[in-house]
Amino acid sequence: MKWGKSWILSARPENPPIAVTDTEKNAVRIVAHEAHAARFGLFNGQSLSDARALVPDLECHARDRTAERKLLGSLAAWCERYTPLVALDGEDSLFMDVTGCTHLFGGEASFIADIETRLTAQGFTVRTCLADTAGAAWAMARHGTGRIIARDQHAQAISGLPLAALRLDAVLVNSLGRVGFKTIGCIAGLPRAPLAARFGTHLLDRLDQASGRQDEIISPLMPVAELASEKRFADPIVHEDDIKRCIGLLAGNIIALLERRDLGVRTCEVKLFRVDGEVLSLSVHAANPLRDANRIAALFHERLARLHTDLDAGFGFDILRLNILQADPFNGGQHDLVERKDAGDSYSALIDRLGARLGTDRVLQFSFADSHIPERRFTLVPVSGRDGKTDPDQVTLPAPARTPTRPLILLERPEPIDAVAQVPDSPPSRFRWRKVLYEIARSEGPERIACEWWRDGRASLSRDYFRVEDTQGYRFWLFRYGLYDRETTRPDWYMHGLFS
Amino acid sequence: MTAIAHTSIAGAAKNRVQLPSSGPGDKARQTSVSFDIPDLDQHLNGGTWTNALHEVRCSLARDFACAAGFALGLAAQFGKQDARRIFWVIDPAASIDSGLPFPDGLSEYGIDPKAMVFVRPITLQDALWSADQAAKCSDLSAVIFQVKGNPKPFDMTATRRLMLRARESGVLVCVLRQSGAEEASAAATRWHVEIMPSGPDPDFEHGPGQTRHVQTLERNRHGRTGQWTLSWNPENRAFEDGTAKTQTTHRVRRIHASAHRPDSPVEVGQVVDFECAS
Repeated sequence: MKWGKSWILSARPENPPIAVTDTEKNAVRIVAHEAHAARFGLFNGQSLSDARALVPDLECHARDRTAERKLLGSLAAWCERYTPLVALDGEDSLFMDVTGCTHLFGGEASFIADIETRLTAQGFTVRTCLADTAGAAWAMARHGTGRIIARDQHAQAISGLPLAALRLDAVLVNSLGRVGFKTIGCIAGLPRAPLAARFGTHLLDRLDQASGRQDEIISPLMPVAELASEKRFADPIVHEDDIKRCIGLLAGNIIALLERRDLGVRTCEVKLFRVDGEVLSLSVHAANPLRDANRIAALFHERLARLHTDLDAGFGFDILRLNILQADPFNGGQHDLVERKDAGDSYSALIDRLGARLGTDRVLQFSFADSHIPERRFTLVPVSGRDGKTDPDQVTLPAPARTPTRPLILLERPEPIDAVAQVPDSPPSRFRWRKVLYEIARSEGPERIACEWWRDGRASLSRDYFRVEDTQGYRFWLFRYGLYDRETTRPDWYMHGLFS
Repeated sequence: MTAIAHTSIAGAAKNRVQLPSSGPGDKARQTSVSFDIPDLDQHLNGGTWTNALHEVRCSLARDFACAAGFALGLAAQFGKQDARRIFWVIDPAASIDSGLPFPDGLSEYGIDPKAMVFVRPITLQDALWSADQAAKCSDLSAVIFQVKGNPKPFDMTATRRLMLRARESGVLVCVLRQSGAEEASAAATRWHVEIMPSGPDPDFEHGPGQTRHVQTLERNRHGRTGQWTLSWNPENRAFEDGTAKTQTTHRVRRIHASAHRPDSPVEVGQVVDFECAS
């Protein structure tokens, strides 16, 4: 939307109402409209042509389900300020498991009030309900008026609500209605076996979930952090220095908890909750378990330095939370008294610092694979992803040799060259690579590397590698792709590497 | 492999000498290791500084492999001997067409590919920062900073900072300048590497033999410049005089002959085992 999230707050009486349309039952219909649009006679489910007859200059927007899902996702991320257990439900609602969280906000009433005030301020129309079970809360929020259902009162509270409040589909609700069951209370006391036989066990499952006889498990959006430490501000903070200092404090808080569990941090994130509902998440990864507040904070400093201009503080952040996402047993606790080595100067600290600033996928080392094809023989993998294992790969590497058989530099991908060579398998006598002509003085080969038929299929081509040296002394590693007359009639030549 | 590495460490330690500090304000001292090539050592006043910034450049893109070879040789011979990791920081502009070190090639060159760490930042600023951070870390053997041309942000100040970092941490820092021109820098030495036809291969006279390069010492803290033909000995991990007749008793592992040809006689008593089918 072009007005931002809070356009609802600034009423636009002089303008025509806004409506969102979608195709339903073979007609374009209104699915949502502005609150004051009811004055013009608009309602949900009205066809667009009828609405246009009433309000000729009605502003219409097609429904964008992807954007709606994204909005709900960002809202769910924001709701993590209340509890780590937030789950999406359908297209327009969220479940929050707030067990043990409400007292942090001064009780259930002020907890609900806080959610409603903040979301309304962001421009949303909210209906909330707090109950013992997810089913009862859903029923009351959608079909009832209550905000908070007292402990153990949910069965009575929802008994007067219509059956649709049990999250049943319309067909089932209709068929129940035909028999005369209109409210939840109607079926709550009935014998279960005949009910299940006639309407299916799903109905009873939903009823049991709402009344608490059956557990309902909500699946939270984010994994719950092993440890978390957070700081709330009455006055939102904006400056980068304040954020850095706060991260340092949070890291300091968490160290004692780590020590008690004998753990060290591997992956942690800082969540910055902006007052207008955005949530910024920064995560850093350590190569070895860390238990030093300064070093954890230093990683976030690098991460912030990378963001720098992208860090949009807006009106400020009111909550900072440090989540420990992954922690491993800490083993580097003993410091050497003799060796005066600065912990911040060591190799793993360097890797962490570079990874935090550049991204862990930018600090790489070789990983070896069992293959004869040169470019498949190795890949570059992030150093910090190896979990502290330095030499995990069993690979036989060639011994040092004065006349090398493998090039020092391998091109990222073989580059085609124009080569003049005798058939069937002579080395080229001259070739052109990157627009320069090379006359070959010495050569050795071919060294045949066959295709991997189990990966490439039987029709793929073999390579004949040659080590060649031109008249000036440049040494190259070339190959002919395909065996002459057996695999192809016009084999291509490629440049693959450079010898030192 | 390990035995060779140990002997070279012992050899290098023998040649390691402390030089008097070059300036009145110098806290850290320059250590130097000799090349064991008398003429070259004389020019360098006894040997190459190990805890300093050096620059290796080549004029053309196709010379990159030999410049990289020389830089890796410097890192292996003069890098910090009690650490083994070599950091290779790549300027994003240089990574486009230059290729990457090949693990098998590195191993044949006498360098353990498992000790290499590559840093590939997105911007030159990040690359400079990474090189600076790496040069500070005393757990590394050497840092190679691959840069293309003469970018403006990598100026006198940046090289001076790298030089100071190297002196404090004891890490050899090497700027590998690909297709770049001569430029004033704080480096202790600047080498220009050119290609040279290879030496004779005792096993196969038509093939490329032992690699040799012409190294021009363009800049030297001790004043004198010169030109030498050097060849890298991967077994001893040391540079040798490339003009001298080298007699190798070492047998090279030959490339196998291709199929559909008269085969070489099979060794008697060779055991071939196949993997079990089940």
